Amino acid sequence: MWDIGIQLLHSLNYILVLVLVAMGLVIIFGLMRVINMAHGEFFLLGAYTVVLTSQRGLGFWPGLVLAPVIVGLVGMVIEWAVIRHLYHRLLDSILATWGISIAIKQLIIIFFGPAGLMIKPPLPQSVHILGLVYPVYRLFIMGVSVAVIALTFYLFQRTDFGLGARAVIANRDMAAALGINTRRMNRVTFTFGSALAGLAGAVMAPLMSCDPQMGLGFFIPAFLSILVGGAGALSGVLVGGAVVGGGDSLISFLFSPVTAQIVVFSLAIVLIRIRPQGLVGGRRHE
Amino acid sequence: MSNAAARTLRAHPLALQLVILAGFALFPLAGDDYLVVELTQYLVYGIFAMGLSLVWGYAGILCFGHAVFFGLGAYVMALVSKGMVPGIGGALASGWAAMALAVAVVALFAVLLGYFLFYGRLSGPYLGIVTLAISVIAERVAIKWYYIGGYNGLTGIPPLSLGGREIIDIVPMYYLIASFAVGVYLLCRRIVASPFGTIVAAVRDNEDRAEFFGYNTAYYKIVIFAVGAAVAGLAGALFAVVTEFVSPTMIGFGMSTEVLIWVALGGKEVLLASFLGALLVRAMESFLSDVLTYYWFLILGLFFVACVMFFPRGVFGRLLAARPMATGAKAGGAGET
Repeated sequence: MWDIGIQLLHSLNYILVLVLVAMGLVIIFGLMRVINMAHGEFFLLGAYTVVLTSQRGLGFWPGLVLAPVIVGLVGMVIEWAVIRHLYHRLLDSILATWGISIAIKQLIIIFFGPAGLMIKPPLPQSVHILGLVYPVYRLFIMGVSVAVIALTFYLFQRTDFGLGARAVIANRDMAAALGINTRRMNRVTFTFGSALAGLAGAVMAPLMSCDPQMGLGFFIPAFLSILVGGAGALSGVLVGGAVVGGGDSLISFLFSPVTAQIVVFSLAIVLIRIRPQGLVGGRRHE
Repeated sequence: MSNAAARTLRAHPLALQLVILAGFALFPLAGDDYLVVELTQYLVYGIFAMGLSLVWGYAGILCFGHAVFFGLGAYVMALVSKGMVPGIGGALASGWAAMALAVAVVALFAVLLGYFLFYGRLSGPYLGIVTLAISVIAERVAIKWYYIGGYNGLTGIPPLSLGGREIIDIVPMYYLIASFAVGVYLLCRRIVASPFGTIVAAVRDNEDRAEFFGYNTAYYKIVIFAVGAAVAGLAGALFAVVTEFVSPTMIGFGMSTEVLIWVALGGKEVLLASFLGALLVRAMESFLSDVLTYYWFLILGLFFVACVMFFPRGVFGRLLAARPMATGAKAGGAGET
């Protein structure tokens, strides 16, 4: 019984981080029609920022603050150097970001080596909640994720920036005609989306062994979450993340992580095939 | 190469192809066994690249998981020729029958997958992500499945025999693979130059318009997808024979990435360019990866980005494009305009 309680919390934890990664992807895709194949590597960069600060004796916390900033800047530079030249070439932007992902992964291997690295857990204590003993750090991750997800929703639904962004999503040319600086909007969105991935990588770093391949392990489920939930609305990510992340945790618990990946990916593909518009999305016009 | 020479060669595509063919035919006479063994493998990769070129360059289907077909072909070849498939033994388990079976299984799998994907109106970027996920699934299954060797793969795949003699020596093996490469090239060129190929190009250039003309676009996509997959499956089966070894890395994400890079760098719209792209990248890798170690892949990744941005037709694409646009322009308005 207690196992199940712990397991549910673990699932929630994974789902929230997955949503964080997927959210960055979906705002970039929604606003810019760019599928950022390097998103997993932004996650990776976030995790290795924390590894770096830990190795240098600065500890985890400065890394957590630095990660979104650094990864956001990296995203901004990549948007400036590569992505903005490919706005009208969707497939090419996929390939270019794919090349960037290879380069980033290789840079990490050059600087940190191909082996997995562990860092010291920043909050080793556990607390009693609802009769369960649960690690404080995982609760911290959930808190951060919920806060950032809520902030993103607020930003896109309640602020002037969000209104502009949604206008660009709805009709880019019309938005530009109304005086919205779409180029600036693209840059801000890409930077923000990258920073979200960087933050997700940083908070997850203490829970897993950081190796150069870990980005892909988050990119694919994050993207499948978007497709399962529906790329049209921001809320689709929550549903998709819950289905993909929850399914993955459940099957990992019952069988094994590898089986979970096989089953969840396959089911997600079937689901996408049956409902291309996503579970949440209504009619979507292209 | 100077512009004049390039123009001469472009004006005479047949001459160019013959020059390349002669180069490959004479290569073993150089007498360096190590290089011949290496080139044999590169030729197999070249065949694999032509399979992706058909699917991606000619039909516009972005496939991030083409190694699934390569790996599946290799595994079927290995399992059948080692007699590990229950109910298939005796003459059916001989090398050639195993190879035919491998190609057939891969083609059938691609038809089923294509039927599932293309009638679902999955296209463009979504298809890329879905095929990427499929290649990761395939790799995980291959690692997990103990009977097919799990993480370690399968070794000791028996050689092919021709006229009662086993082909083991380096030079005969080279010529065997080279003739497969030539055969596949001629066949694929025949397909893309046929009326069928023209319709496929029309679907690539403007799917809606092709549909308005009354073509069942999903059907054409499925067929070309299956052909491209079968070519990759054949390459996989040949790879199993050449290296006497199959492993989960051949079916997965890494291999899918590599073939995509070869084809993009070579030039995806031209079969021969994709083929040479594979050879060029592999040859450079074997020479440079000792010197550059990890930096090689970094440079390759950045070069790939530059190639996508500035030379979308690849290194060889422009040079080798025989009569550029000719097939498209004749397509009754449905081709490139």
